[in-house]
Amino acid sequence: MLLRHEGFRRLCRARDLLRRAAAESREPSPTIEQLAREVRISPFHFIRQFEAVFGVTPHQFRIASRIELAKQLLARGEHSVTDVCMEIGFSSLGTFSTLFAQRVGESPSAYRRRIRPLVAVRDRGASRLTPGCLSLMGALPSSAFCSVRLQADGTKSAKAGHHVRSG
Amino acid sequence: MRIKLTSLMVDDQSKALRFYTEVLGFTKKHDIPVGEYRWITVTGDDRDDLELALEPNANPAGKAFQEAMFAQGIPIAAFEVGDIQAEFARLTSHGVAFTREPTSAGPVTLALFSDTCGNLIQLYQPTR
Repeated sequence: MLLRHEGFRRLCRARDLLRRAAAESREPSPTIEQLAREVRISPFHFIRQFEAVFGVTPHQFRIASRIELAKQLLARGEHSVTDVCMEIGFSSLGTFSTLFAQRVGESPSAYRRRIRPLVAVRDRGASRLTPGCLSLMGALPSSAFCSVRLQADGTKSAKAGHHVRSG
Repeated sequence: MRIKLTSLMVDDQSKALRFYTEVLGFTKKHDIPVGEYRWITVTGDDRDDLELALEPNANPAGKAFQEAMFAQGIPIAAFEVGDIQAEFARLTSHGVAFTREPTSAGPVTLALFSDTCGNLIQLYQPTR
C-alpha cells in the first residue's frame, strides 16, 4: 500500500481525533463512519489504511486509548475504580473491569493497588512506570549482555558480559 | 567504545516484536521481562552482535516526540537493503504501508514505511 502525503496526513488527524475523543469521553464518541467522513476517506479504506499504518483498527485504537487513560487515572489514585469507569465513558463497571483485565492482565483495582506505591515514591517509581530509555538495562540479567562474536580464526569467543547502568 | 546497541520506541512491544521479526525478517535475540515491560532486542541477518532494542514509549515525553516526528513524516531509523525494489514489493505484499515508494536521491534510493508501532522507517540502497 502506498499512501500519498494527503492520505497520510488524514490518517494522522484521525488518530488525533480518536485520542481526543477518548480524553473527552463524557461526550458521545464519534462512530467510525463519522470519523471516516471527517477525514474524507471511505469507511472501508479508512479502516484498512488505519490498520496498515498504526497496526490496529480505529476501533481497537479507541479502546486502547481509553484503557491507557484509565491506567493514568488509576495511577493518580484520586478516583475510585467506579469513578474511572464513568470518567472514560463506560456505563457498566463489569464491562470496563473485564476489558481492562483482558488488556492489562489484572483487574483495575489490582492495578491500582500495585501501581500506587510506585507513583507515590518520587524518583524511585518513575523509571519503572515510564522507562522509555535504556535505564531498563540496569535491571537485566548479565546474559542480556553476552555477545557471541566470530574471531578472526573462525572460532566463537567466550561470552563477554558487561553491565551498563545508566540510560 | 563501539556501537553495539541502538533502540527505537514502540507503542506496543508485542506488536513490535511480531512486525520486526515476522514482517521485516529480523531475528529475536532477547525478550526479558522487566517489571511491566520487556527488554526486547532483534538483530539483522548479517550481524548477530548488533542489536536493536524495541523500547516501550510509555514516557509521555517520548510519546510526544514519536508522534510529532511521525506526523511530520520524519523517519526515526534507516535500514540498508541490497535491493530496494524487491524489498518494496515484498513488504507491500505483507500489507506494509509506504509513504514514499523507492525514489532516487543521488547517492541512494530511498523509501519510507510505517512500522505499525508509531514510527516511520527509511529503507535505503546505495547507488552503485
